[in-house]
Amino acid sequence: MKIKKPKVSEEIPTSSMADIAFLLIVYFMVTTTFAATRGLDFSLPPEDDTPPMVEKEEAVLIDIQAGGIYLVDQKPMQLSEILEYLKPKLERNPKKPVIIRPQPNAEYGYMVKVFDELRQAEDKIGMKVENISIPTQREIDMFWF
Amino acid sequence: MRLTSRSVQNTGIPTASMADIAFLLIIFFMVTISFEVDKTQVTLPKTDIRIEIPKQAAYVSVSPNGTIRVSNGEEISVFVPGPDEVLSFAAGVVQNDPSKPFVLKADQDVPYRYVDGVIDALKQAKAQVIYLLSNQETVDSAGAGGE
Repeated sequence: MKIKKPKVSEEIPTSSMADIAFLLIVYFMVTTTFAATRGLDFSLPPEDDTPPMVEKEEAVLIDIQAGGIYLVDQKPMQLSEILEYLKPKLERNPKKPVIIRPQPNAEYGYMVKVFDELRQAEDKIGMKVENISIPTQREIDMFWF
Repeated sequence: MRLTSRSVQNTGIPTASMADIAFLLIIFFMVTISFEVDKTQVTLPKTDIRIEIPKQAAYVSVSPNGTIRVSNGEEISVFVPGPDEVLSFAAGVVQNDPSKPFVLKADQDVPYRYVDGVIDALKQAKAQVIYLLSNQETVDSAGAGGE
């Protein structure tokens, strides 16, 4: 009786390779999150226990209230008007301090909008706002006079 | 006269290079994937100026309800009860690396008092620079700013 030997394939089975590859692609596509990796840089001055040498009257005070109401030196203003208001003051004193003071119940996003607007001063009015300060409530309580 | 038979057209889609393309895509995803240290779901504020944040920066996130989470940039973020714990966390980070940048990832609608506490803690910890994480300002969002 003749015994048939089973034929052994000499090739690596690759028919399912594309399926596996596409499964991996789908896995990576689903799990990949495009993380936000950009933002506004905010350099902090070196910690100093001495009170800042800026008097409230010398600085431009941008008060931010809930709902995106901006009071610049107590005057209600649109975001787009702030730089035009600052321009003559910066021409007289390029180091004019600008203080951003959001109220505790104001939304954080409005503070960022103001900070972003001030950082764009060079492009919009041709002058840089060099001295931007965002004092915290503790600093206001300690040093505000 | 004998007519020559028409050339037989292959009706199948050529799939020989499909596996190569698939593996190229896999390599792309494997190289570009970045594991987020903080997965807090927030709506970031939108800004025009967006500077690249250094890798391995420490993260402090503030969720819409004021929940704070911190990460040293290498480990997954952990919940902290308040600004006092942010201060002790940030002081430890700054002690190890005085120039370590911090990233503040806060929801645009969170009341500022929560963010104020975090910024104050980072200032007290002698952090040198804070990056306010933001998304790209678009024409639509700029127009609907509500200012």
